[in-house]
Amino acid sequence: MRRTVAAFGVLALVLALLLVLNLNMGSVSVPPGRVLEILMGHGRSDTAGKIVFTIRLPRLIAAAVLGGALAVAGFLLQTFFANPIAGPFVLGISSGSKLTVALSMIWCLSAGRTMSSAGMILSAFLGAATAMGLILLISGRVRKMSVLVICGVMIGYICSAVTDFAVTFADDANIVNLHNWSRGSFSGMSWSSVRAMLPVAGIALILSFLLSKPMSAYQMGEQYARNLGVDLRKFRVALILLSSVLSACVTAFAGPISFLGVAAPHLMKRLLGTAKPILMIPACFLGGAGFCLLCDLLARTLFAPTELSISTVTAVFGAPIVICMMVARGRERVA
Amino acid sequence: MKRLKLAALWLLLLLLTACGQASAPGWDTMEPIGHMDLSYAEQFRVDYYPENLALITIGGTDEYLLVPEGGSTPEGLGQEIRVLHQPLDSIYLASSSAMDLFLRAEALEQVTMTSTDAAGWTIPEIAAQVESGTIRYVGKYSAPDYEAVVSEECKLAVENTMIYHCPETKEQLEALGIPVLVERSSYEPHPLGRVEWIKLYGLLTGHPDTAERFFGESEEKLLALEDAAPTGKTASFFYITSSGYANVRKPGDYISEMIRLAGGIYLFQEDQAVEDNALSTVNLPLENFYASAREADILIYNSTVDGELETLEDLLKKSPLLGDFKAVETGQVWCTNQNMFQQVSATADMIGDLHTVLTGEDQPLHFLHRLT
Repeated sequence: MRRTVAAFGVLALVLALLLVLNLNMGSVSVPPGRVLEILMGHGRSDTAGKIVFTIRLPRLIAAAVLGGALAVAGFLLQTFFANPIAGPFVLGISSGSKLTVALSMIWCLSAGRTMSSAGMILSAFLGAATAMGLILLISGRVRKMSVLVICGVMIGYICSAVTDFAVTFADDANIVNLHNWSRGSFSGMSWSSVRAMLPVAGIALILSFLLSKPMSAYQMGEQYARNLGVDLRKFRVALILLSSVLSACVTAFAGPISFLGVAAPHLMKRLLGTAKPILMIPACFLGGAGFCLLCDLLARTLFAPTELSISTVTAVFGAPIVICMMVARGRERVA
Repeated sequence: MKRLKLAALWLLLLLLTACGQASAPGWDTMEPIGHMDLSYAEQFRVDYYPENLALITIGGTDEYLLVPEGGSTPEGLGQEIRVLHQPLDSIYLASSSAMDLFLRAEALEQVTMTSTDAAGWTIPEIAAQVESGTIRYVGKYSAPDYEAVVSEECKLAVENTMIYHCPETKEQLEALGIPVLVERSSYEPHPLGRVEWIKLYGLLTGHPDTAERFFGESEEKLLALEDAAPTGKTASFFYITSSGYANVRKPGDYISEMIRLAGGIYLFQEDQAVEDNALSTVNLPLENFYASAREADILIYNSTVDGELETLEDLLKKSPLLGDFKAVETGQVWCTNQNMFQQVSATADMIGDLHTVLTGEDQPLHFLHRLT
């Protein structure tokens, strides 16, 4: 109990610190007192006000919400598949999004049409939803989870193949921009994006939390869960749907972000010393939010004014965590 | 008596209101009084209105109203028309090809930000300004440092059509109150059409006469070349992509027109593989390229994407198939210098270089070099 309270305390503290750092750090120096004034609603139309309120604030909210959503999606899938390297994109969500974004970019621009950012987001969501629909269809026909994972990976491969096919005939400029999109970025996050993502991610996160009890039962085994009255079919659908919506939300607004969804749940398990969903879900949200805020801060400040893509940074931090986790797991098995 | 006074007061009020209305004309009642004379440019037009207002229309859809310093925005202006208030003394120029025209219009001091770093500039005057920080590098066009852009009190962002690939960037700049002008000079079919955009930049920055004069000189250089007889030689302009395709310019593109003006014949005029769409280039399978360009008299390699080639060996590394080409066998393979695309103002000189290559004259070249 003490450990749990301390862990959540640390998470909240770290998150608060990162929020403050993200709000106060950037290529333009704004005094903390001025930042506070702007947050209180004063002087938002001058240079400092625009920087803090229109550039930094929506960006850090988006990074926190989407980072948290991705971590929770990762935890849901790792629990469901009982696979420590199952990530939010193992079901082909990001590949589906990338496919529809690529087709939209290529088709729109070759027809001399322009596309708004809302169009890009909808396009990405459509791709994710299509991949999600296919997975749901398949999940109704397979019993083994390992088969479902394989099907998800195969769907990912199919989407990637179709994307490569389309890209073969694309202009070099399209290829470069698609590559940039597929590395993920929080640049250009606006209040309209935040207003759109908050209800979607918020509802999905709340529903995920409400699944804690059946998930706990599921962790003890399918038979145990069934005996406790968990409808496994509905549970499976709910879990796939929620993790897919969370992953789709992230991909649609920021592009695919690698490693965060895999690494964050493991970090939280180490911190809490438990895998209980009722604790892990909020912890993953807080941890994922913090992890993403840190990575985004580094992405935009390390080589300013050049901005790194978010996946570049999350991979540098996330991959070593996954490696350490696999090595530790291997040692435990030998012992 | 009292009634008379009230009536007089009422009449006076009516007259004053009418006068007030007369001094603030609405946009709906304004009519153009002239337009900018354009000889080659098709992608923009400028209509002049009373009170020194100018309505700029780009691509037939994007409209900008240029309001002079001290002037006021007319009432009733639609939201789709973006207002630009002069002086535009802090411009974020993300379009690298436009920078050279700003330089020639003597308006470079009004450019304060760029999305190409110092190493990316082949024009020495501009490279020096970026190196010294006079023109600040603010990151890539697709993800600029918005804080830096806002802190420079940017009045206008000039982007090229690449911004359409990342619409959120344009939207974010507009959300920050920065009007975004997307220049479409790369869609101009005539080479001088690209140069003629200097007139627009001259208007925006208050240097219309300098711009007009420079354009006149460029036009004279080109007209001098028009007297030269056609050479009858065929030329191809291409590069080999990373996936092994030959990227060629479409017929009707300004490059093909430059070759025609220089006295050459651009290949792929009637190529069935060249699809008609909004893109200015097309990726041809090497088989098609081989069939079309094998007998071309001149090959010109486009160095913009993957750097300059120096030798024929470098070319053959791109594709050994090119060894069969007539132009390779006769030593008529040329490569563009990196400054060719940035130095838009020297278009007439580039056509001169192409003419030299096509005629085989022994003249110094500034934008092409032979591969040996």
